[in-house]
Amino acid sequence: MKQGFSNLRFLAAILAAKLSIVILRLLRSGGTSLPGKLALKLHPKILDRLSGLFRVTMITGTNGKTTTSRIVANMMEQNRMRVVTNKSGANLSSGITTTLISALTLGGKPRVTHALLETDEAAFRTLAPRLKPETVIVTNFFHDQLDRFGDLQTTVDKVREGISKIPDAVLILNADDSLCASLGRNVSNRIIYFGMGEGVYPETGANINNDAAFCMQCNSRYEYSSVTFGHLGHFSCPSCGFGRPHTHVECSGILSYDNLGSNIEISGPDMRITVKLALPGLYNIYNALAGASFGIAAGLDEKEIATALSGFESGFGRMETIHANDRELKMILVKNPTGFNQVLRFLLTQERPCVIALAINDKLADGTDVSWLWDVDFEVLTLMNDRIRAFYVSGTRAEDMAVRLKYAGISPDMIMMEKEYSQLISKALQKAEARESCYILPTYTAMMDIRKILKRRFGLKEFWK
Amino acid sequence: MYEINICHLYPDLMNLCGDRGSIIALTRRCEWRGIQVRVKSVSLNDPLSNEDYDILFIGGQNLDQSIIHDDLKKGKGKVIREAVEANKVILAVCGGLQLLGRYCRTQDGRDLECIGALDLWTHEGDNRLMGNLIFECDFLKNEHFDGLIAGFENHSGKTWLGSGVKPMGRVVTGFGLNGEDGYEGAIYKNTYCTYAQGSLLPKNPALTDHLITLALKNRYSDFESLEQLDDGFERAARDSIIKSLMGKKNF
Ligand SMILES: [Zn+2]
Repeated sequence: MKQGFSNLRFLAAILAAKLSIVILRLLRSGGTSLPGKLALKLHPKILDRLSGLFRVTMITGTNGKTTTSRIVANMMEQNRMRVVTNKSGANLSSGITTTLISALTLGGKPRVTHALLETDEAAFRTLAPRLKPETVIVTNFFHDQLDRFGDLQTTVDKVREGISKIPDAVLILNADDSLCASLGRNVSNRIIYFGMGEGVYPETGANINNDAAFCMQCNSRYEYSSVTFGHLGHFSCPSCGFGRPHTHVECSGILSYDNLGSNIEISGPDMRITVKLALPGLYNIYNALAGASFGIAAGLDEKEIATALSGFESGFGRMETIHANDRELKMILVKNPTGFNQVLRFLLTQERPCVIALAINDKLADGTDVSWLWDVDFEVLTLMNDRIRAFYVSGTRAEDMAVRLKYAGISPDMIMMEKEYSQLISKALQKAEARESCYILPTYTAMMDIRKILKRRFGLKEFWK
Repeated sequence: MYEINICHLYPDLMNLCGDRGSIIALTRRCEWRGIQVRVKSVSLNDPLSNEDYDILFIGGQNLDQSIIHDDLKKGKGKVIREAVEANKVILAVCGGLQLLGRYCRTQDGRDLECIGALDLWTHEGDNRLMGNLIFECDFLKNEHFDGLIAGFENHSGKTWLGSGVKPMGRVVTGFGLNGEDGYEGAIYKNTYCTYAQGSLLPKNPALTDHLITLALKNRYSDFESLEQLDDGFERAARDSIIKSLMGKKNF
């Protein structure tokens, strides 16, 4: 009888949530957390119950969660694993509840076998034991929106605590990130480490923003035999011996690399594949390695992994291209110094002249302190001064962005302010000439607002579909 | 040609929240006036010598960094105390402010000894004092400038000043030193301390120029004043944040 009542409550919660999803869709609202909140209210333990219905993979870390999630989802779908994923920043318990409920029938039966869930690093601790994942991917740890989470060490420790509660999960960890690799110490989990092979990536010189210069165990300064970016590289501690773990999945060669993507070789146990990756930037090679590691964990063979990675095309928020007559609008989300630096490095590979528009907001989801702009190396843009037609600054903190560009060495008469997004897009397109690109680099909430305008003007499809 | 040497202390350990912006601002505003600048980083186990620099910058980080404390005890603490007394120009932000004081009391009641260069002390509070911060500095006021400084604060420590140390200004919006007495920052001789972190100097050129002027006067007896620059962008950035916050008081 008790069982029957609890089941009834479960079904009622699902029904209520499903109803609210339908209503929100009718209202054309992209709201993704409300239905979950409602269900959690009606049935506080619903998440524990829902997670038992799916084979769960969790993805956490600072950068690359969304792209890695899309790579893995694509790999699952190509290999007969039917999967539900959470999208567009719905990565707290209410958003995840909404996601899982949307994959159930009205009778509460799962329509797919797998769930692939991005989670906030801070929320991982409480979500991991409730979601009971089979596999956990941790991409990396960088300083990001510090005003919300406190220092980086605390963030890593929260993830560590979550992992301690799921000893049966397979861990997929970035070996080149000392913070991430440390999660594999003293745990009984099966671990797959991924990383960049020694000497594969040409040295980039000094790294100014080192988020993890000192050994977590003994506070000595790490020594690096090679660095890829930020604090990622082949690190070792001269005092206590903690160092980059041996990798199972490694990028063993970069055959070509340009602004459209790269050709890379990935090696692993019984695997040596060449992958044509249609995602630009070094950070996406790491995301592909995380994806390949998932393939190994899921028992796929090298051919299946290679096909899935080569067939992947970029998606939401990372780099969106819109054709506007004979010009291209390209939008890339920026949210922290490391990611932004990678975007700038990508822009440097542009050969044609272009227009750059930066839209910086300081709302809660962007981080309310815009000081992080000073940790981005905008100075490198002076290297392509002759190829930039104009800079536009926009968003609630457009003025701060203008100051940052000025102090980076950009001439103030190259910097224009336009706070109205529709005007911003029109003006940027006018400044560009035929076959040239306008790059829009927005923070999270600015991107959401700009997308609404792009949708109206160019028929961009809605992100929550 | 004038020259200025800047020392950035612990850039790899105390560099939260874009403190690099203040180094960039000092550097650029010198360069734009033809003043030659050199920036030197000094970190763990590197020697610190007061002859080597004109401006010392100590950035923000939580105080609970035992490696920094050990390093300061090994000698740098004494060197900094001497620099403060010898009228060196020093800017210390957030964690740097706390470090220059006498001690910091943690939430569990332990007193962490600091270097004691300034008569101020800090008690960890229960809440984070976080958000945009605007304060009014009389020493910067003149017929062209209202003396308002804008920054961002993010600290849980509440700092109190002893009798020899003066506040930098009065809080207009935000918490300031302790969220209670309405004051922000600390000045003693040529040492300036503040909880306004990150892009403090870029957005507040009057303060930047004040520090550069003091440093040049220290080094060149014939130096009088800096040439004016066009600060339209900087002023707009500061004014926009002031405008968006007017009327909000936290303390
Ligand atoms: Zn060590």
